[in-house]
Amino acid sequence: MSYKVLVVDDEAPVRDLFVDLLKREKYETDTAVSGEEAIEKIKQNEFGVVLLDIKLSGMSGIETLKQIKEIRPQTAVIMITGFGYDEDLINKSRELGCSGYLGKNMPISQIMSNFKLFLKTVEDKKKFND
Amino acid sequence: MGVRFPSPAFSSADVIRGFPPQYVADPPRILAGDSDYPLHRNYRLNKIMSTKIDNCANLVSKLIDTANAVILYLDAKGRVRLCNGKIEQLSGMKRDDIIGRRGLDILYPENGSNTRQQLFDAFIASALEHKQPNSFIGNIPDRSGDERTFCWNITPILSDTAQVEGVLLLGNDLTEIDGRATSVRNKDDMLRNIISSIKDYALFATNVEGKITYYAMGSTSLFGWGREEIIFRDSSVFYKTQEASSKLAFALEEVRRKGECEIEIEMVKKDGEALPVLLSINKLADTEGKLRGYIFIAKDITERKNMEYHLVQSEKLIAMGQLTAGLAHEINNPLFVISGRLDLLLEQKGIGKNQRQELGIIREQTDRIRVLVDRFLRFSRKSSSLKPDEIDINKLIENVLPLLSYHELHTKDITIRKGFAEGLPKVRVDINQLQEVFINLFLNAFQAMPDGGTLDIKTRNLDGNSVEIRISDSGYGISPENIKKIFTPFFTTKNEGTGLGLPICYNIIRNHNGTIDLKSEVGKGTTFIIKLPF
Repeated sequence: MSYKVLVVDDEAPVRDLFVDLLKREKYETDTAVSGEEAIEKIKQNEFGVVLLDIKLSGMSGIETLKQIKEIRPQTAVIMITGFGYDEDLINKSRELGCSGYLGKNMPISQIMSNFKLFLKTVEDKKKFND
Repeated sequence: MGVRFPSPAFSSADVIRGFPPQYVADPPRILAGDSDYPLHRNYRLNKIMSTKIDNCANLVSKLIDTANAVILYLDAKGRVRLCNGKIEQLSGMKRDDIIGRRGLDILYPENGSNTRQQLFDAFIASALEHKQPNSFIGNIPDRSGDERTFCWNITPILSDTAQVEGVLLLGNDLTEIDGRATSVRNKDDMLRNIISSIKDYALFATNVEGKITYYAMGSTSLFGWGREEIIFRDSSVFYKTQEASSKLAFALEEVRRKGECEIEIEMVKKDGEALPVLLSINKLADTEGKLRGYIFIAKDITERKNMEYHLVQSEKLIAMGQLTAGLAHEINNPLFVISGRLDLLLEQKGIGKNQRQELGIIREQTDRIRVLVDRFLRFSRKSSSLKPDEIDINKLIENVLPLLSYHELHTKDITIRKGFAEGLPKVRVDINQLQEVFINLFLNAFQAMPDGGTLDIKTRNLDGNSVEIRISDSGYGISPENIKKIFTPFFTTKNEGTGLGLPICYNIIRNHNGTIDLKSEVGKGTTFIIKLPF
């Protein structure tokens, strides 16, 4: 099963890298440079997964997550963390219903395998609910 | 005292107060109520002389009566032969009742065998035995029972043949001068007691040349030197470093100009250990104001110095933490992109063997940066992310040891000795963080012993409030100037060190409200001492 993935990050090289990595795995992708733009896109389109930078300029990653979950509770959100150890932010996003997080300090191969693992968990959950 | 005072000789019955004999050749009359008294030798005085002498005697008796002191003349048996009006005021007894009674019974009426009386008696006996004046300070009760302090001059009165005939007691009332009914002797004792009971302070004095001329008993606890071994030695034994010596010289110059000075200075104990003190120096001058030496009062400020050091260290770490977190965050994104792109590049087909090798090196080095950034982030980790658990510190150390032994212990000849106290109270710590502290310290210890050695790990219940963990290696030790910098971020003596291992340990222990300190001697080894409250 393939998902359309929305990549939200304010830095173009990071965004582009995720897009390339996802394309390689045959995922359909879209991008947003800010939380505000992400919310607009989510209102108009349905995404399977949102890859969301936890630390965004403008609307914060946490606030964006909160709004996404209000608009489309079914959409899986995976947080991208730079601060490998900022547990306060990670705990907060977990409370708000994110499905997992990927650290930018991880090797690429680990990031992609974790990404797939999270998706599988989301899928299993959906199947169970259906 | 050269006053000769032979058998009392009095000119008239009403002038019983008496007077020195040089004014009386031979008294014409017998002293009232004194029938058994040896009488006078010579009555051959003509009337004119007698009148002159009577006048003279009156004068002297007035002098004695108006003297602002108690005057008692006792015979060889201690009975009062002569007294002045002061004793009437003091005892409330009439002079006629006083004469002939034991003098000390008059002064101490409460009972005949009290110790104060015996003490006074001993002083009198001593004066008589040595035929030398003596003095005694003591309290006596006045007529209303209040204590009064007197200083007594005790003067033996000798005959022409140097036989003791009696003793003259002259008592000065010090009560009013003193104001607090404390005798001068008591005050001396009190002062001595105060000085020797002071524990955190040391008190000593030197002459102008720097020789120690006074050393209070209490100073031993601070410096370790006993009074006998330090007195008259040169005070330079207290100052070892060049810095301390010049600081002292500067301070003494100030004392000579202003009379006093206060400095923080590093002194040295007898065993050679450094002792940071607050040193107050005062000028010691004679009555003409001429400099005779200096008085030194030293206060131990080790505790405060330690606190200051830790405070500076903490502030440094906080600042470094913020800087590192910011830096690491900034590095994180470009590094992620570089290593991601590199991975994508390496997956492409058709890359030559040489290029692949080059890319491999870039891959290795980016990984190294990633590990470093990871450490920076851990260093700047906030205390809010502590996840404390109640744990047995002995068990935690036991669990850490196998993590190291594999690659370190087997390549070097290192013996691990464990001295774990039984029944240690559990401490509330974040297990992962504490593990990191011990891994860091153990690895440091191993690296300090490249040719093998002993790692000593000891735990104990320190004072009922905290657990102490001592980790000692027998490695090459750390120089004093490096010890000062050891917890400073990015300070390292190792070629491949990041300088973050010990600052991380410091941060973690501090976040647990504990302390970490070290003692080290070059060539002998290093001991880290961790205290964690429970």
